Amino acid sequence: MTDEAVLTLEHVAVGYGRRVILSDVNLLLRRGSFTGLLGANGSGKSTILKTILGIIPPLNGRIVLTPAGGRPPVLGYMPQRESLDPIYPLSSFEVVLMGVCGRVKPGLRISGTEKDWAHQCLRETGADQLSRKLFSELSGGQKQRVLMARALATRPDILLLDEPTAGIDALATKAIMELLGKIYAEQRQTIIMVSHDLTTVREHAKGVIWLHEGKVLHGAVSELLTLDKIQELLDLELR
Amino acid sequence: MDTLREIFDPHFLLRNSVYISLLVGLVCPLVGVYLVLRRLIFMGVALPQISSCGIAFTFALQGWGVIPHVHQSEHGLAFFGSSLFTLPTIVLLSLLVRRGRGSVEGRLGTVYVLAGAWSILLLATNPLGEHGLLDLLKGEIIAISDADVGWTAATFCAVILLLFLFGKEFLLISFDREMAVTLKKNVLFWDALLFLLIGVTVSMTVLSVGPLVAFGFLLIPSLIAHLFAGNMRQFALIASVIGGLTALGGFCIAYHWDFPVGPTDVALLGVVYGLAFLGQKSVGLLKSRRSQAEGGR
Repeated sequence: MTDEAVLTLEHVAVGYGRRVILSDVNLLLRRGSFTGLLGANGSGKSTILKTILGIIPPLNGRIVLTPAGGRPPVLGYMPQRESLDPIYPLSSFEVVLMGVCGRVKPGLRISGTEKDWAHQCLRETGADQLSRKLFSELSGGQKQRVLMARALATRPDILLLDEPTAGIDALATKAIMELLGKIYAEQRQTIIMVSHDLTTVREHAKGVIWLHEGKVLHGAVSELLTLDKIQELLDLELR
Repeated sequence: MDTLREIFDPHFLLRNSVYISLLVGLVCPLVGVYLVLRRLIFMGVALPQISSCGIAFTFALQGWGVIPHVHQSEHGLAFFGSSLFTLPTIVLLSLLVRRGRGSVEGRLGTVYVLAGAWSILLLATNPLGEHGLLDLLKGEIIAISDADVGWTAATFCAVILLLFLFGKEFLLISFDREMAVTLKKNVLFWDALLFLLIGVTVSMTVLSVGPLVAFGFLLIPSLIAHLFAGNMRQFALIASVIGGLTALGGFCIAYHWDFPVGPTDVALLGVVYGLAFLGQKSVGLLKSRRSQAEGGR
């Protein structure tokens, strides 16, 4: 991790329409950090992630993404797999190829180099044998690997993952998290991962953002995810 | 074989009907795949009806003397009327579908039935008579001029070209709109262009072959192709080939037994769909039995 800020939120309010879910959020994430975004259901985890991604406009405040090498930073997004309609007869390779679309101008065909890169991303996520299979027919864990390959295919400056381990079995969760750990270790990628799984975040992330009763707590895993602190926050949530 | 030779003879009286059938059969499914994928099948039913209502409306305006009656510009005027009704409706309906509030099927059903009723009312009140529109509504593909074929071919070529050039953008915004936003794609623009292509294709098809055939070729070939496609390219290609072959087969049958072409085409599409469905289920059953047998060994 470097000292350089990669993402800054200044007095940001997030929500839908007139419904404010979180207000006055101030955050600073550094390049090369691995941050878990924790919180109970409905606490605004996915909403804040989508606001950072530009999918939902902020209701107030300012989001600053630091340029990378003089150009706007590329955001690699991995959505929740249930949000993708299984009616599409897309091969896994076609899904990953979507990741390179940001670099290919409209009207131009995807070059061989970009196709090779998509294959390489599939290999990196251990999903190269799935490339010809229909995405809709893959298991939950396999889909996550393909979606991670797609996010990597964007050549991201920041990787944003929305519940990558939700709804998959323990073995697949372990494999996905090991893969993410490997990507973090090898590429020093800036990662923001939404999760409701405390254990997963504690084991793999370095920093944590905990959304709790409209407040945003931000700190190192070693500070925020101690047993005492968790107990204190959970007690507050139960009350 | 003799029928095929006869209908492809350059002096064949109904050659334009063959060309139009083939064009519609090959191109409509390419647009129809997006209606199926975006779960807008009901829209595929309602749009041709809206389009024919637009045609009836422009002819009625001529009949009532609101606009002058010029025979030469009739086709262009009808296309204008059809597009005028189709394009705003497609935008409005897609917005309603996207918001997902209320009963989307109910709204589409209401649009369908109202457009049908208004088409008939406009025909009935047109002082110039039914103007050949009744044949159009029934799917009689007979009175097709060289100019009609030319215009339809030119429009469809433009549609194919744009679908080919911007296929990756259309697919991305349809499959994962959020990802498209993160990749800085202008989602509204690509949505609008896709709907414009769908609208223009529907308008042109309804103008040439009527709403029944338009609906049939927009949706059924894509639904058949969906049973077998292993990727997007196969999906579009299979749908288009099935559409083209069925259009040709339907024309041959209709010509040989003196049936109306449009309903024959659609009925044939239904038979192909039924056979494809049974074929796919049988293959699936055989595969699962084989794997069970191998597992038992």
